[in-house]
Amino acid sequence: MASNATWRSPYRLQEAGLVLVILLLAALLTFGGGSVTVGGREVNNFLRVDNVVPNVATTMSWIAIMAVGATVAIAGGGIDISVGSVFGLAALGTAAVLQRFDEQASGWLVVPAAAAVALGIGLLCGLLNGAIVVGLRMHPFIVTLGTLSIFRGIALISVRTKSLPSGDHSLPLAFTSRFVSWQLVVERAGATPLLIQPVPMLMMLAWVLAAWVFLSHMVAGRQVYAVGGNEEAARFSGIAINRVKLRMYALSGLSAGLAGLVSTGFYGSANTATGEGYELMVIAAAVVGGASLTGGRGTALGALLGALVIKLIDNGTYILKQVNLGFTTLPVSKEYSKIIIGVAIILAVAIDRFSEYVQSRRLAMGARQKQ
Amino acid sequence: MLRADGAGEPTRRAALEVRALTKTFGGVTALDGVSLSVERGECHALVGENGAGKSTLGKVLAGIHRPDRGIVFIDGQMQAFNSPADAARAGVGMVHQEPVFCRDLSVAENLCLGRYPRRLGLFYSRRGARVRAEALLARIGAQLDVGQPMRRLATAQEQLVQIAAAIGTGARVLVFDEPTSSLSETESQRLFALIGSLRGRGVTSIYISHRLPEIFQLADRISVLRDGRLVGTVARAQASEAELVQMMIGRPLAEYFPQHLAAAPGRPLLEVENLSSPGRFSGVSLQVRAGEIVGLAGLVGAGRSEIARAIFGLDRRASGSLRVDGRALRLGSVRRALRSGVGLVPEDRQRQGLVLMMSGRANFSLVILDQLRRLLFLDQRRERRTAEDFFSRLNVKATSIEAPVASLSGGNQQKVVLAKWLACRLKVLIVDEPTRGVDVGAKAAIHALIDELARAGLGILLISSELPELLNLSTRILVLRAGRLAGELPRPAATQENLLRLMAGV
Ligand SMILES: Nc1ncnc2c1ncn2[C@@H]1O[C@H](COP(=O)(O)OP(=O)(O)OP(=O)(O)O)[C@@H](O)[C@H]1O
Ligand SMILES: [Mg+2]
Repeated sequence: MASNATWRSPYRLQEAGLVLVILLLAALLTFGGGSVTVGGREVNNFLRVDNVVPNVATTMSWIAIMAVGATVAIAGGGIDISVGSVFGLAALGTAAVLQRFDEQASGWLVVPAAAAVALGIGLLCGLLNGAIVVGLRMHPFIVTLGTLSIFRGIALISVRTKSLPSGDHSLPLAFTSRFVSWQLVVERAGATPLLIQPVPMLMMLAWVLAAWVFLSHMVAGRQVYAVGGNEEAARFSGIAINRVKLRMYALSGLSAGLAGLVSTGFYGSANTATGEGYELMVIAAAVVGGASLTGGRGTALGALLGALVIKLIDNGTYILKQVNLGFTTLPVSKEYSKIIIGVAIILAVAIDRFSEYVQSRRLAMGARQKQ
Repeated sequence: MLRADGAGEPTRRAALEVRALTKTFGGVTALDGVSLSVERGECHALVGENGAGKSTLGKVLAGIHRPDRGIVFIDGQMQAFNSPADAARAGVGMVHQEPVFCRDLSVAENLCLGRYPRRLGLFYSRRGARVRAEALLARIGAQLDVGQPMRRLATAQEQLVQIAAAIGTGARVLVFDEPTSSLSETESQRLFALIGSLRGRGVTSIYISHRLPEIFQLADRISVLRDGRLVGTVARAQASEAELVQMMIGRPLAEYFPQHLAAAPGRPLLEVENLSSPGRFSGVSLQVRAGEIVGLAGLVGAGRSEIARAIFGLDRRASGSLRVDGRALRLGSVRRALRSGVGLVPEDRQRQGLVLMMSGRANFSLVILDQLRRLLFLDQRRERRTAEDFFSRLNVKATSIEAPVASLSGGNQQKVVLAKWLACRLKVLIVDEPTRGVDVGAKAAIHALIDELARAGLGILLISSELPELLNLSTRILVLRAGRLAGELPRPAATQENLLRLMAGV
């Protein structure tokens, strides 16, 4: 019974539950993480700028950028699992082109070149995914499973040195340490200065903002939800289904391209394994963020928060040495991260379902008491 | 026996009794203390406006919804259903308003779902399924190829399969939720005969419908719901249509059907020549002029909706020539059809008309996104204003335009689909069963709207399986039989009888 399906109240801030989860996680890590001595001062192991920024915010930025693209594809009723390979290809492509420039080349030259290469590769891969899905009427899971392998293969064949820049080349500083990995130095009285690299984080926020504008304020975004929610009804409404699908895979590819750019700029290198397995984290972030695999649902803010949850868990397994359960203590090491992330994915979706149920019960009770 | 507080002995002889049933959905009270008792073998009709709670009552009986409060007795036994399977065990079956099937399975497999015929206790017997499905369909006088996948069927054929499935469970209480909303007169009459024979065997039916004439033909007693409350129950002999309508909407309704007065038709807006689609229809030529409402009559499967879909560019195999307002329109693209000014209100609101999880507002604006566009952006203020305007004009009953359409009652969903098409600037509007599942008041409003559109100079092609609707609205009626035009009747010459004769070809 479609008319009988549970539905989400439009008035509920969908992301409120996620924020709560994030706060709980942060509290756990703050109290469970203990303290460390940095630069002669006792500080909390988790809740310190030099943990939260480099280990959470920066490294989540490429995951979140891709999760935003994945959310668009998922909300449109599709899926793109080739993102890890597109990311790798874009990262390598950027490195391959930029290593030909002089190390001191001007930023006006280098940054546009990097953007053109990375975004171009991402867009091209995305369009290819979209064209196969639309042209051959194939399930996107199969198509992108195929291209996941193909794109990785292309990377392996074209970069025989395994890693770029190769030999004695290096990437122009105007792209790396003067742009993506630029360091902000904050002097602290009585301690070593604080080093922050804010650019990846800012690019992530800008991309989330752009995706939010696309999904909630642009005609094209509305069409994505319509196609994902009910393709048949969208067709009867005169929406150009194929164009919408092509557009959403292009956006997913573009996101992976941008993420590759950020990663290469940040690390100053890329290799043929870059991005391997990322698709799992990216899709996990999108789903934890509320995107529904049956289509029609998902937001840019949700993708960002979903990526944050995943990254906090990841970071948590470094921070927490052990968890005290009262009767026994469990050792926690980074090897546990995969299990915990897996549990978190299932839990997040289950909690989402449950809170929907609780809310409808509560409203029902409220209505009864009014009488 | 279990006994809840305040619950006395159930009334004797009652096959079904409910007491003080209350059901709310997130702040919306769908049922509000409804008490009702139905005798064995009775056909009890439920009527009421869209959103009055009829389907909800049916779904509580069938174990789909659990009531917040209240008790259900079946054959004197108190019941607390947790699932449709519980209800089925207690002998309650339901024909749903919006059919649910496994669309990729065959008709036979759908009819045997859950009780597959087996061979050697282990293997699925395709032949057994076939035989059983054919027998079930034969009981309701329907003929269908049971081997074809469900998704090939038209809405009306799905409805027939639904009915066959519900009756096949051997239930002692059957809830029919608007079973005839897309059946034509002939199939409906067969269903009524069947319900009559079930009654003879002591099967009790709850019959939900907006079509008063059939209620007067079938029902022993009629209960009226309004806003989730039971307004009253009357015996058929004591009831009049006017009185029922007054009970339903709380005021008398002066005129149900505004007779469409044919103004002098203007220039031809839609010219169809020799339209064919293999296996569906062939050689169809017709014309719709400005200000005209052209009715399209025919039995289920005659090809009415298929023609509509072809004109609207949804049939890739269709051939023939099409002109809209004098300009040729190439077949095969919805966007081209829309650009040249052709719109289609589809017959299946849930599958073709609506994105159920989206809000009323977002559904409403789907076809006019281009009109609401400012550069790449959506003018959401104007979208909200227009949606509110149309929703109040059509009297859509919803908590707000932001409520997901999945939460609206069937009739109100239909109004949203209509609103969506009324909002765009068109020359030709094809309406396929525009009042399917719509209550009397809203039906009058929709008829008035269609009439108003024709007066404003649109050409309307009206497909309906309800003959009174066709007779009242159309300027002339084309009759379709087995994919070919079988005749045309101008309004003065058209009567139910000669239409039926043309439709059936006798
Ligand atoms: N699953 C649901 N979630 C939220 N609200 C619901 C749900 N189902 C029904 N409602 C609400 O309950 C009320 C009664 O709905 P119901 O479907 O019973 O009406 P109905 O009498 O069958 O109308 P119709 O003639 O249009 O089919 C409506 O206001 C509807 O919006
Ligand atoms: Mg109903």
